[in-house]
Amino acid sequence: MNTAFSSNLRKQTLRSGMLLGTVSAMFFGTALAAQDTLVVGRSMDVNSLDPARAFCDTCQIYLTAVYEPLITLGADNQTLEPKLATSWSNNDDFTEFTFNLNPDAVFSDGSPVEASDVVWTFERLRNLKGSPSFLMDGTKSIEAIDAHTVKVTVDAPNSEFLNKVSAPYTGIVNAEAAMAGGAIGDETAATADGAEGWFLENSVGSGPFTLSKYAPEDELRLARNDSYYGPAPAFGEVVITQIQDSVSQAQALETGSIDIAMQIDADTAKSINNPDVTTSIVASFNFVYFAFMPGSEAMKDKLTPNVREALTLAVDYDGMLEFTVGGNGNKIAAPIPNGFPGTANLTPRSQDVEKSKAMLAEAGLGDGFEMEAVYPNDNVYGVDLNIMMQKLQQDFAQVGVEVKLKPVTYPVWREDMASGSADLTAVYYAPDYFGSGQYAAYFAMTPGSTWVKRAGYKSPETVVNEKEGEIYAAALAASGDQSVAKYEELAKEMMADNIIIPLVSPNLVLAYRSDITGVRYSACCNLPLAEIARK
Amino acid sequence: MLRYIIRRMLGVPFLLLGVASVAFILSQSTKGDPLSALVPERMMNNPEIVNAVKAQWGLDQPLPVRYVVYMKNLVQGDMGTSFNTRRPIARDIADRLPATLELVAAAMIIGTTLGMGIGLLSARFRYSIFDNAARGFALLGSSVPIFWSGLIMLYIFSVQLKWTPGTGRLDARTTPPEGGTGFYTIDALLAGDWPLFVEAASHLALPAFVLGWSVIGIVARLVRSSLLDALGQDYVRTARAKGASERVVLINHALRNALIPVLTVLGFTFAYLITGAVLTEAIFSWPGIGSYAVAAARSLDYPAIGGVTIVGATAFLLANLATDIAYAWANPRIKVGG
Repeated sequence: MNTAFSSNLRKQTLRSGMLLGTVSAMFFGTALAAQDTLVVGRSMDVNSLDPARAFCDTCQIYLTAVYEPLITLGADNQTLEPKLATSWSNNDDFTEFTFNLNPDAVFSDGSPVEASDVVWTFERLRNLKGSPSFLMDGTKSIEAIDAHTVKVTVDAPNSEFLNKVSAPYTGIVNAEAAMAGGAIGDETAATADGAEGWFLENSVGSGPFTLSKYAPEDELRLARNDSYYGPAPAFGEVVITQIQDSVSQAQALETGSIDIAMQIDADTAKSINNPDVTTSIVASFNFVYFAFMPGSEAMKDKLTPNVREALTLAVDYDGMLEFTVGGNGNKIAAPIPNGFPGTANLTPRSQDVEKSKAMLAEAGLGDGFEMEAVYPNDNVYGVDLNIMMQKLQQDFAQVGVEVKLKPVTYPVWREDMASGSADLTAVYYAPDYFGSGQYAAYFAMTPGSTWVKRAGYKSPETVVNEKEGEIYAAALAASGDQSVAKYEELAKEMMADNIIIPLVSPNLVLAYRSDITGVRYSACCNLPLAEIARK
Repeated sequence: MLRYIIRRMLGVPFLLLGVASVAFILSQSTKGDPLSALVPERMMNNPEIVNAVKAQWGLDQPLPVRYVVYMKNLVQGDMGTSFNTRRPIARDIADRLPATLELVAAAMIIGTTLGMGIGLLSARFRYSIFDNAARGFALLGSSVPIFWSGLIMLYIFSVQLKWTPGTGRLDARTTPPEGGTGFYTIDALLAGDWPLFVEAASHLALPAFVLGWSVIGIVARLVRSSLLDALGQDYVRTARAKGASERVVLINHALRNALIPVLTVLGFTFAYLITGAVLTEAIFSWPGIGSYAVAAARSLDYPAIGGVTIVGATAFLLANLATDIAYAWANPRIKVGG
């Protein structure tokens, strides 16, 4: 054999071998990295990564992964379970709560989680006046009894306080590390705290993951917390990547670009016919509703309690469920989600057009009247509010009431709600924690509440229902079945107000690659990432 | 020429301040609750929270005071902090602009190359099957909405054929390169990371084609009509009479003259695409300036609206200048600067 040729052949063989080795290393390296990375696609709505300022669905996922509250909500979405606190107790009138911390718990920098961190976190949450500060409303004192015991005293009985501290926004922060980043916990926090930007680049929690990188409206990267004192999460890295709409999320899931798609609507889910993708439908605790505004200038003498009841009888609730989510949801009776305390025995409204017409005629409105509906031009939880309001427009037309639809951008809707210019509106609600109290605080017609101001506008007395405040206070002072009974009584009162009319609680589509396990919907935390693994 | 460019560049900051003023006043006069990105709806009933947020963001000050503060900061290079992202606007733009520029540059390369090629061949073989097919293709590119073509192409090439990867600039499992130019393809090449370059380029290909298709339509039709016009001119007839080949006539004589109107369009198309790539960015989850602008507008994020307006205005001013210079290059009879 020619020596030169032989030498060239050897060189080529060597090169080919090296190339093959490099390509193999690259391929297997990438494959291993892919195995160890979980990718979640969703339309990100992050407003902050500071636990005391954040308030969004993505925030719930992030905070649950990176910070830990004292208590968490179990997989049954009803039972409170230990997290940083191994046990807790309260006095008989629900004004004092004592938490015993897990002595093994450590923050991601290895320092122990102590009572002083809990005190500082809760005080900062209260004093910062951030979006989730309401969770600390009514706290009179927060004391460290010893290094691992915390006592919280509230100014009025509050049996729901334990539920509130299961919200991810109450996740305990490493006080020393956060203060070094500019965070302030005392009374000056609202004006002096300058740590919001710092929290976008740093995480100081005790959760199973830490913040690796955040690029707004692009991606949120988490890395496994190697100092985690509990069971290590299955994935070394989690990436939450921005994918705006349902169809794009489904396509990304089918190609394998992502492992979990979080906002696929029921129609799109039906179009997925891929053995590598699993979809399951679960009931959610979100709901969409419409609301009457009897205090608006045009509706002052029209939207009386009887007329409101008549109009609720005109609505085709079954048809609405079909029309908005193709039947993939549930009817809902009161503005408290199905499955929350006090809702088990409620009966959803039903349509009775003849009775509606008769009641309107009795009120002198047999010839009908006009209303203007102002609502956000949004698609939420798979419900297009435009479609929902078109259906409502049709239903009201049957009893002679003409609804003029005015979809607007969200900021404009907010301004209109404050100005009393709308007669009717439509919007949505998702829980901040497991508990019916948040719905009482927001939807009940108690003096000064959000919806009294909106619905009553300049005539709040026309919508106020004093009884609801008393029932709510009684529910907070009771526990167990007694509390549930009070919430049921409150729910029935709210139904009788006929101001807030829930229409649909859309189901949630859990869509993920078939080799993924542990995906579930949590009422407090949305998607607990640490429970997810690859088969 | 150099003096002309310097004079034009010196005027740019003043024009931008004027644009920023108009953007500030218009966005502040727009109907809507400015707190919608800052205070969740259900917290609006809590005056303590509302007042704390207003004070934090200076929204408790009257409009003239806010304007003076904004302009003072702007002159010092501070565009403010975004209501949405809670980060300095300059940083947001620095992070997102390279993504848009990379996408638009690739779309322009695709659009210009294919557009000119198609336009040239259409003119050369006018009324042939190729000409009719090419004109149909160009017409489709100009008329099919991007939200439709984007989704369909993604479905065909990514989901069904698996020729291209999914959405985003890179696979979500890949760690993006830090620093550099912000153009992932270029950064990967500079780092000698060939697999990363291939990944970045393959992610870029489909959105760039979708965006570039509209440019193909514009350029192809313009080149064809300009060339047909030029081919009828006396100097072309003279070139042919002197025995020049058809290729020489087409490329050396007719095309250079036909390029002048194309250059005008290309300059402004580039600037338009920078601010107008919104739909492509949304469909392909491309983290660029377009989607940032939409999010800012939807939530009345005044500082971000101002920042994006300045970027858009800068793009148009520079495109205008570049077009003038290109004009002079393409046609020596045109003098810039007077």
